[in-house]
Amino acid sequence: MVSPSLSTTRRGALGLSAAAMIGATLRAANAAPDGELRIGVHVSLAPTWFDPAETPGIITPFLLMYAMHDAMMKAMPGDPVTPCLTESWTMARDGLSYAFTLRKGVLFHNGDALTAEDVKFSLERYRGAASKTLKERVAGVDIHDPHRLTIRLNEPWPDFLTFYAAASGAGWIVPRKYLQQVGDDGFKKAPIGAGPYKFVSFTPGVELVCEAFESYWRKAPVIKRLVFKVIPDEATRLAALQRGEIDIAYSIRGELADELVRTPGLTIKSAVGSAPFWLYFPEQWDPQSPWHDPRVRLAASLALDLKTMDQALTLGNSRLTGSIFPENFEFYWQPPAPVYDPGRARKLLAEAGRARGFDAGDYYCDTSYANIGEVVLNNLREVGIQVKLRPLERAAFFKAYSEKKLKNIVQGASGAFGNCATRAEAFVVKGGTYVYGNYPDIDALFAEQAAEMDRAKREAILHRLQQLVHEKSIYAPIWQLAFISGVGPKVGQSGFGLIRGFPYTAPYEDLTLKGKA
Amino acid sequence: MTVITPVTTETVASSAPFWRLKGFPVIPVSILLFIAFVAVFADVLAPHDPQIGSLARRFKPPFWLEGGSLAYPLGTDHVGRDVLSRLIFGARVSMVVGITAVLVAGSIGTLLGIVSGYLGGWADQVVMRITDTWLALPALTFAIFLAAIVGPSELNIILILGLVYWTRYARVIRGEVLSLKQREFVRLAIVAGCSKSLIMWRHILPNVINSAVVLATLMLGVVIVTEASLSFLGVGVPPPKPAWGLMMADGKKGLMVGYWWLTVFPGICIMLMVLSANLLGDWLRVKFDPQLRQL
Amino acid sequence: MKQYIVRRVGYSLLSLFLLSLTIFLFVRVTGDPVSLLVEPGASPDDIETMRRQLGLDQPLWVQYGHFVASFVTGDLGLSFYYRTPVLELYFQRLPNSLLLAGVAMALSLLIGIPSGILAAVRVDGFWDSAGKIFSLLGLSLPQFWVGLVLILFFSVYLGWLPSSGSGSVAHLLMPAFTLGWYFAAAHMRLTRSSMLDVLGSEYIKLARLKGLPEALVIGKHALKNALIPVITLAGINLVVMINVAVVVETVFAWPGIGRLLYEGITFRDFPVVQGVVVIGGAMIVLVNLMVDILYALIDPRIRLES
Repeated sequence: MVSPSLSTTRRGALGLSAAAMIGATLRAANAAPDGELRIGVHVSLAPTWFDPAETPGIITPFLLMYAMHDAMMKAMPGDPVTPCLTESWTMARDGLSYAFTLRKGVLFHNGDALTAEDVKFSLERYRGAASKTLKERVAGVDIHDPHRLTIRLNEPWPDFLTFYAAASGAGWIVPRKYLQQVGDDGFKKAPIGAGPYKFVSFTPGVELVCEAFESYWRKAPVIKRLVFKVIPDEATRLAALQRGEIDIAYSIRGELADELVRTPGLTIKSAVGSAPFWLYFPEQWDPQSPWHDPRVRLAASLALDLKTMDQALTLGNSRLTGSIFPENFEFYWQPPAPVYDPGRARKLLAEAGRARGFDAGDYYCDTSYANIGEVVLNNLREVGIQVKLRPLERAAFFKAYSEKKLKNIVQGASGAFGNCATRAEAFVVKGGTYVYGNYPDIDALFAEQAAEMDRAKREAILHRLQQLVHEKSIYAPIWQLAFISGVGPKVGQSGFGLIRGFPYTAPYEDLTLKGKA
Repeated sequence: MTVITPVTTETVASSAPFWRLKGFPVIPVSILLFIAFVAVFADVLAPHDPQIGSLARRFKPPFWLEGGSLAYPLGTDHVGRDVLSRLIFGARVSMVVGITAVLVAGSIGTLLGIVSGYLGGWADQVVMRITDTWLALPALTFAIFLAAIVGPSELNIILILGLVYWTRYARVIRGEVLSLKQREFVRLAIVAGCSKSLIMWRHILPNVINSAVVLATLMLGVVIVTEASLSFLGVGVPPPKPAWGLMMADGKKGLMVGYWWLTVFPGICIMLMVLSANLLGDWLRVKFDPQLRQL
Repeated sequence: MKQYIVRRVGYSLLSLFLLSLTIFLFVRVTGDPVSLLVEPGASPDDIETMRRQLGLDQPLWVQYGHFVASFVTGDLGLSFYYRTPVLELYFQRLPNSLLLAGVAMALSLLIGIPSGILAAVRVDGFWDSAGKIFSLLGLSLPQFWVGLVLILFFSVYLGWLPSSGSGSVAHLLMPAFTLGWYFAAAHMRLTRSSMLDVLGSEYIKLARLKGLPEALVIGKHALKNALIPVITLAGINLVVMINVAVVVETVFAWPGIGRLLYEGITFRDFPVVQGVVVIGGAMIVLVNLMVDILYALIDPRIRLES
């Protein structure tokens, strides 16, 4: 399946004359970095993101890590596990160790060469997301020479590379010598990495400035300076983009995106992240509740006019997968495409003895996504399900959600790292953080896959599990949300949508400005 | 708008009915009465359900513009709801939220102000320390906390605004009480052997009510604008309830896109209400008690 | 006197203690920072690791002890979100906040005082109503809307001013005006009434009798006295401004304390919220303490009474 985001990029590229493009690329290849790209960021940048060792389980820090740092292997265009600082690796036949050969001649920004020592140091120092899992399963690191090392495991672990490369920041390499010299705090004040851009200055709450690192191993970046400007309000971000104060504005939602399309010179770029949204019916295990009847849950799902909602809120860029599992995750099973059929929904409700509809009580959601709730509310009302919107501020919402305090309907979402098994664990299987009730057959399948060493068999079990989630209508899936950004007239290659599942612009060394090179 | 609301410094003693009094703010009072009328009869006046819309007809402009229709005279919003109906029901929400919040703030503040001003000593110290501490919690911050604890609903917004603004009352009323305490009739009551609570209830309270009313009209505006700010920060009246402040916060994005009617109409409503309440308050202030001019 | 001061200092410390305890418990009741620092659905291991790193696995009284200790040692603890000492964050933002509030105050007085004087001199006249309504408009329009309209007009349409950010005078104009206009009404109102008071006083009547030109009477003699309460109010409002600036700071991406605190709350960044609120509280308590002591020095009766 071709992702809409990629096709958008392609359309954008076709708009330009092909000859001009080639010309620009050729010139770019042998000229020194030039020009400045200013990016309007929607969140406050935190110095903790300068240090890969502190990678939390959210995607935002990668926005900076792709600029300042580099990883053994990371997601790159076309391949979620692309060798970067390592040239190649092999898994031992018993699955107990992985041998890596490092790329030669890679330099940190301070000129130090990157060696196996740094790789070992970075893994051992790592304390962010999944660090506990890594610590428990990794037995040790053996260095053979400056460019060869082996990571030993305590037991075979088929997901090791997924964790090392994607689900954590452990594979992102920091300079050992420099760090030991300046310490953790010093590192955050003046971080040094092996990425395409080096740190210049940081003004908290205002901006971060980076400059091209010409000795970057992959290629010298085309653009000389990157400036990340913090602009919290999205209307202001759009105004700044229109005025040319910034060249890229992250997160432009709803009607602001319409304006983006309408303003000459500005283009809209969207990337689908790995955060599916859904409706959850926490009372489906209570025989007294109308939601106990699967037909009612299915009716709610059929009542959602997702296509119209997608057009209105994200200009048709979100992905209607019909699943609560991200489609770019390992072991994903694609359910049949969601259907909008209010007639059938009403029929199902009638069969369930609710022909006149019913008052479903409260509809809880995170305030930032109350706009989805407002639309769903109208959809549900059309088939006779009355709900009252109860938006909670984000922190309070997740606290209440995880403490199992919410009732009636919950509009949830998750962008956590992992694979379909980890998602199931948190959202479907007994004991999960956001699980209000369970089905024994699903629990059994989950237990079975956890013990299964054969990948194909495990995949089959997990597919079966997802199929059950779908058939039982435990959730009414909404969509995998598109992250929409605006790009100004100066930008050539904006880098959006090049890496699958990554909402921000990357890889930075590939970005170009028009007319400069 | 050319409302001339003269304010005199001298109190005019007169037996004429109040609307004949010199400088009675006719236009502001009419506006407030009109808003109240709309609020009461919203169900009859509104052409559509304010909470139901359809994406198929979102962002329709007002009827006199191209693409507009008389079915939605002031256009529709981002979910396709009728702006006019939302404004009409919004009058109710804003009135109820505004007035009740002011009442809550007024009751707490007046009570504590009287107690602290009249009793003095420990009671005074405690109340004043609490007011100090309260001031250190910025109003909006405090509101975000409360919203997070109790969850958003109209009732909670009322509580939040009431709890945020009572300190202003407490300070003003306490000052009033301190000077009332020295007055002849209070001293006489003490000599006559009245209990403290009786004096506070019978003699002090009726004499600070005027100030409380004046403050209330002035606070009404502050409360309504704060309600809008709360919506902007995501902790206001929960959608899809129609409230003017929420309509402005929701329509803010539309302003960038040229959908000006989403914010301009509720903006005019808020503005008229706040202006009217303030002009009325100004007038009352001078009428009731020239001492209060320094509020 | 000494005893009085000791007692007042005691009360102030008590206020601060109450405030710190309130805010400490408040932030903890309303949400869990870990649920925001990791994605919902993260593994229980990750959540536990994060909790331990932030010190949230310890009993409440130990956490409170750390909080108080961080105040005594002076760094106010590490922010959960930034992983930077709170004091450092605070002092990075404080100059911005002071600058914004200072200029906003100047603009607000620039609008409020002249319109107040005009209103007082021409009671019931055109200028009275015009000034009053212009000032009241600032009070009656939500700041986020005023701010956005300004951005649309001056930045997007005319292209004169930068839409957001900080660093130059041009950046400061729109946010300061938006914030200042909101406060102009209060200053206008007070200028007007205190001006009317002064104009009605004996010595102004005397000055007029002496045949001094009206402009001199108003501009010099009356204004000087009328402005005292206005300046006092402005002083108090300056503190209030720093607090309510969060909306303006958000719209104009102005890096002030209001925004720091707001983000602290939304991320449940306990050390930031605690630190900012307690520093703010300490400032208010300190100002009150000094005022009380000054009054007590001037008026001995206060000492005896309390």
